[in-house]
This record gives sequence, C-alpha cells and structure tokens, in this order.
Amino acid sequence: MRTEERLQMRVACIIPAFNEEGTIAEIVRGALKHCSTVIVVDDHSQDLTAELSRKSGARVVTHILRLGAGAALSTGFRAALGTDADTFVTMDGDGQHDPREIPRLLEPIRNDEADIVLGSRLLGQHELMPLYKLMGNKVLSMATSLASGVRITDSQSGFRAYKRIVLDFVMHKQRDYGWASEILILAAGGSFRIREVPISATYRAGQRRGAGVKDGFKILYSTIRPKSSAARTMITGRVDGAV
Amino acid sequence: MEPYEIAAAAFGVVMLVLTTRELLHRRMRPVQYSIWAIIWFALILLGIVPQFYSTLLLATQVLGMYTPIHFVTTFSILILFGMVYYLGKRIAELDDKLSTVVQHIALQPATEGVDQGKERKKHPKTQESS
Repeated sequence: MRTEERLQMRVACIIPAFNEEGTIAEIVRGALKHCSTVIVVDDHSQDLTAELSRKSGARVVTHILRLGAGAALSTGFRAALGTDADTFVTMDGDGQHDPREIPRLLEPIRNDEADIVLGSRLLGQHELMPLYKLMGNKVLSMATSLASGVRITDSQSGFRAYKRIVLDFVMHKQRDYGWASEILILAAGGSFRIREVPISATYRAGQRRGAGVKDGFKILYSTIRPKSSAARTMITGRVDGAV
Repeated sequence: MEPYEIAAAAFGVVMLVLTTRELLHRRMRPVQYSIWAIIWFALILLGIVPQFYSTLLLATQVLGMYTPIHFVTTFSILILFGMVYYLGKRIAELDDKLSTVVQHIALQPATEGVDQGKERKKHPKTQESS
C-alpha cells in the first residue's frame, strides 16, 4: 500500500496487553509504521508494559484491575472510537502477529470488499501451532461458522481489521476470550461482510499464552448455546465512544 | 441445658449482635436485617427452649416428615441453596458493574485532561499569570 493511500485511511491499532514488556515496544513501533494511532490497553500489568508502550509512541489506556482480553479490547475500541480513525486494527501484544502484515489486512477494506478482515493463521503456514490449539481452534471455528452462517477458519485470531461502521454498531460483551467468536456472530447478524486473509504467527518456545483448554470449553459453550449473549445483544444501538 | 443448646444460643446471640452492628453502621438494609434477626432469634429460642421444636410437629406431619429435625434441616438446606443462587447472581451483577467502572476509569484521563484544560483557561488567576 502506498504512503498516500495509507494516509487516506486513518487507521488506529488496538493492542490489549498483559505483562508483555518483552515484546510490546517492538510491536508498537512496527504498528506505528502502518497506523496513525496505536492504543495499548494495559490490563493491569505488573511489569513495564505501560511504560515501554508509552515510550514507543503508543497511547496507553490502563485498567486498574485485570479484566481479561475481551474487556481490554472493548476498552480499546471505545478509546479508538474517540479518535478520527476510520479503520481499526487489533493485534496481540505477545509478538504472535507481525505488524508488517497490517497492510494485508487493510487491503480488502480499502477495496471495499469487506467490513471485517480476519487474519487467519490456518490459511497461512500453521505447522508450528501447538496441536491442542489447532484442534481447539478448528472446533471453535466450526461452531462460530455455524452460529454466524459465515465460513470462518480461524475464529480465535486476534489479528483483525474493522471498518468504523462495524464498531459503531457492534460491541462484544464477553470479557474473556469469548469476545473473538461473539463479535463475529454479532457482525454476521448485522450483515457486515467478513473476509479472511492468510497471516503468519510466531509461537515462542516455552511460552504458554492465550486461551487454554478451559477457555476453549467456555468459548464453545457461549458460542453454541441457544440465544447466546451475542444473539441477545444483536445490534441494539450505536455504541458510545467514551473518549 | 445441654452443651449444644448453650452453644447454639451463644452463637445466636453473637450473630445477632454482629448483625445489629451492621444495621447501625448502615451496612445492611432493614429488610435484610429483619430476615437475619428472625433466624438468630429462632436459634436462640431453640437453644434456650428446645421444647419449641414440638411446635413444628404439625408442619412436620402435614409435609409427611418423620421428625421436626427433618423439617428444620430440609428447609435450612433449601434456604441455603436459594441464598447461594441469589449471592451468585448478585456477585455477577457486581462483577459487571466493577468492569464498567474499571473501563470508565481507564478511558477517563483523556477526557479529563481536555476538560481540565478548558477549566484552566477560564480561571481568572490563570489568565492573569499568562
């Protein structure tokens, strides 16, 4: 994407982070090359995540208590809705996602082919994905596809891009990892166009982050239960930008 | 009096005092206090006058239970289940409110800074010094 095109699209990047001092600075700097604003939501980290993010050029929003990934993301969305950005990118703070792939996510939005672009690890090279995550991801993606009516290969990916219009009307309620499926089901119910693009993912040796098996069962339950919270909260009105 | 009767009555008195203190410090609503007070009074009464059990005999017979103690334990367990359900629901509600507050505080500084800036401009002393 050329620089002038990037400037035309005002992109805000939202990074929920909890104890990510080892990776956050590099991610923020990488994201700033493609986004006009980077918002790091510090979910009550006990390390230098907030300080390093600020020094790297991010705007930091801090939770005084740990609420979970979903809550951190909804705080970030609300903060980002207060900016003049028209497109929002979300990515993890643990270094799993490569900021250099942001343009790939933005491309379908720029071409008006999608309202939400999902970075799918399973469409890209995913040989290094731990087996339990791979299996869990496939089950949850299948459940999310059934609930949303849209074929999704990686429903748990946190590397996404949204048009402002989507977040104006759709906001997830789940505070844990269930947000990933919930927001897709909500968006599909609102007839927003969802598209996936392949992305790479880095898994660090010995690092055990993200959703675990217990979280997987919780996500599955919240996705498949009849009249899920997602279905009940379906586009009830415009979401307030708090800032 | 048997030792267990003394223990029951003493426990009832201590709990009644603690509950009353909560009411006086406005940490408990009158309705809540009334419910707890009835429970503690019943406990004290059963400790001091165990014959009071016999008054439950009619209710026991109507419900087809063998002895009054079956009536007391069964209903106590049911009430406790009800309370656990209510408390779980209440905790979930409070948890939601807490999250809302935490998120609101997190988003506050940005708007606060803007508002404070506006206030400072209006303040006469600030205008003089500038």
